[in-house]
Amino acid sequence: MKNKDKIIAAVNNLRWEMGENFHDSLMESLYTEASEIANKSIVLQDRKSKFDLDRFIDRIVTSKIWGFPLMFLILSLVLWVTIEGSNYPSQWLSYLLLDTVHPVLKSFSADIGLVWWLDGLLIDGAYLAMAWVISVMLPPMAIFFPIFTLLEDLGYLPRVAFNLDRFFKAAGAHGKQALTMSMGFGCNAAGVVAARIIDSPRERLIAIITNNFSLCNGRWPTQILIATIFIGALVPSEIAGMAAALSVVAVALLGIVLSLLVSWFLSKSVLKGEASTFTLELPPYRPPRVLQTLYTSLIDRTLIVLWRAIVFAIPAGLVIWSISNISLNDLSLAEHFIFAVDPVAIFIGLNGVIILAYVIAIPANEIVIPTILMLTVLTTGLAELGQGTGVMFEMDSLQDTASILTAGGWTVLTGINVMLFSLIHNPCSTTIYTIYKETGSMKWTIVSAILPLVMGFFVCFVVTQLWRIFS
Amino acid sequence: MIDQIIALAFALIFAGLLAFIFLPENGMYNRWKKRRIDSRKMLIENGLKFIYDCEYKHLICTLNALAGNLGINADEAAKIFEQMDEMNLVKMENEKITLTDEGRSYALKVIRVHRLWERYLADETSVHQLDWHDRAEIVEHFLSKEETDKLAARIGNPVLDPHGDPIPLADGTIPKMSGITLNKLTQGDVGTIVHIEDEPKAVYSQILAFGFYLGMDFTVLRKSDDRIVIEADGEEVKISPIVAENITVKKQEQEYTPVTNRLNLSNLKPGEKAKVIGLASNCRGSQRRRLMDFGIIPGTTIEIEMENPLGDPLGYRVRGTMLAIRKNQAEMIYIEKIKTTEDEYAV
Repeated sequence: MKNKDKIIAAVNNLRWEMGENFHDSLMESLYTEASEIANKSIVLQDRKSKFDLDRFIDRIVTSKIWGFPLMFLILSLVLWVTIEGSNYPSQWLSYLLLDTVHPVLKSFSADIGLVWWLDGLLIDGAYLAMAWVISVMLPPMAIFFPIFTLLEDLGYLPRVAFNLDRFFKAAGAHGKQALTMSMGFGCNAAGVVAARIIDSPRERLIAIITNNFSLCNGRWPTQILIATIFIGALVPSEIAGMAAALSVVAVALLGIVLSLLVSWFLSKSVLKGEASTFTLELPPYRPPRVLQTLYTSLIDRTLIVLWRAIVFAIPAGLVIWSISNISLNDLSLAEHFIFAVDPVAIFIGLNGVIILAYVIAIPANEIVIPTILMLTVLTTGLAELGQGTGVMFEMDSLQDTASILTAGGWTVLTGINVMLFSLIHNPCSTTIYTIYKETGSMKWTIVSAILPLVMGFFVCFVVTQLWRIFS
Repeated sequence: MIDQIIALAFALIFAGLLAFIFLPENGMYNRWKKRRIDSRKMLIENGLKFIYDCEYKHLICTLNALAGNLGINADEAAKIFEQMDEMNLVKMENEKITLTDEGRSYALKVIRVHRLWERYLADETSVHQLDWHDRAEIVEHFLSKEETDKLAARIGNPVLDPHGDPIPLADGTIPKMSGITLNKLTQGDVGTIVHIEDEPKAVYSQILAFGFYLGMDFTVLRKSDDRIVIEADGEEVKISPIVAENITVKKQEQEYTPVTNRLNLSNLKPGEKAKVIGLASNCRGSQRRRLMDFGIIPGTTIEIEMENPLGDPLGYRVRGTMLAIRKNQAEMIYIEKIKTTEDEYAV
């Protein structure tokens, strides 16, 4: 026993004398040895004569002139393909699930004489919410994720991180946050999961908290619809489409700026620290394996995210139907809520319907517009436009949608505020749940949910006050 | 219009109030939290640390010195001393305060936590060097013995803290102080930095600004009463005696050959080739390992292959792979430019 203690004491003394460079020196000599052996035994053929395609592409995608425009062009192209490409499958799905299966279910429940409230709760509530989420969410995700994975496979995304790194470094964040951020444009939950690629815990947390500022797939339709109705109407009709599109892009860019600002704020305050090192390997370009990519992105990303969304959408459907159909003193619960919140909501440039829609659309941002329309019809008494109390719907034509919203008291200011609020509010429940699973911390989950919500109210409030001063 | 301006003003006041309460360092909430820490226990432990430090450096510790170190007046210091005396931690002979064996092992326990925590912050987190000490000052009063041993095991039982101070072992063993302070060297002496004192913060931040690090070799070029000029890593640095007193060095017997114009990777220009000659010692922990994993070790050829639209980071070709390295990290990689234009493409 005594001997052992002596030896340990001697070892400790040696460690103190040797200092801390010992490990490094050992490792350095191992690596040097290895490379010497490699140098002796490996002969490299002269590669200079060959035209290097990789270098040629790299010169363009990271050049001072073309680097950034190319990046925005590709991002816009991906988003455009996603939005345009998902139109038709979305229509088919909604034709199938909303216009075909829904009536069949209704008549079936009438045949077996289901009680009216059970019929409403299950079919108009739970089923319809699920059907909405699937038909609005599935096609864009099934298009966006494979394209995104292809770009990743191709080797382009690491170059995006490379180009943008300086901004993230200034914000005290990790360079790879550029990747999780662009992933967030598809789905924030997927973006949060993608933050696993960041190994420093502090920067990973920053990437997770700020991912919500990437305008996700579920929010693009809202942005486009509102921009077309309200922003497009401000300019001559020839350039209305352009103005609407530009305003949506502006909102998305604002999201990027906000995510950098919040990252900066977090790394200067609660998550104080230095930007850690960034040694990103830039892989050579290689032809993507299309089939494998399709399979993994569909299974790993699309279906998992969709499944979580459905799980959360069903209870939301139950809630939506219930609050519009359960009455207290001749007013439904929804109306009680709307009228109670209205004064405050209007003060900050929104209204009670919007607030309620965002509360019950926490499970999935896709159902915000259908819910807003349903609730507006409910409160304004335009019964002939709707499809029954508590039944979510969307209008076929823009004019009809616009007229419902105007009847609900919407102005250009409301439109702008809804666009801002849609960008800056709490993440959907799928994302919140994912944040909890990824961080394992209740505290950070709450911060990521509450922080953007408070910011959203604040921004709407300031915009409204300024608008009222200057108009 | 007036309403809106009033509303905006109120919102501004409200936001200010929130900031006032929740600001991370000086906010009311955090001040209140700090206040709840048992200040008596903290004073006693800090006092023990100070007395230990005096003994370690063979200085005489008086009641006044103790009061000065703790930032309290002489009366309060006397009270704290009385309490330590009651706990049988200290004794006083002819105005000189010394530790009892019990007090020494208590002090070493606190110091062990402090230095381990600094090591942990340096290796595993991205907390700035200047903040290591302040954070450890708080943590040292809370960690239990079991937690401390667990922490030590997790970070590989280190023996030195990031400033070069030895970390006491769990049983309280600690080596004797070695080395002398820089101001004791004379002109022409060659030395290696073995320890950088992290208190007071103002001096420490000056040392960091000079870019000094543990293990740095240097030569004393000139020395006068108010200035010491040293040469290190190819640069001349003028330092004041106060700064020199805070740097402990080991005198080297052999002649030091100054490295003239030591270049780092950030000096490399596109089209040039270079050979890596080493990594700076302040590139440590996982960062150092990662660079070595990519093959950045002495002898490796390196060149710029990709420029960045914003100028930073750059893409370097290293052993057949392309690596993006930020400027501040490139500064930690020392290189030697390869002059020849011939193609001597190493692996």
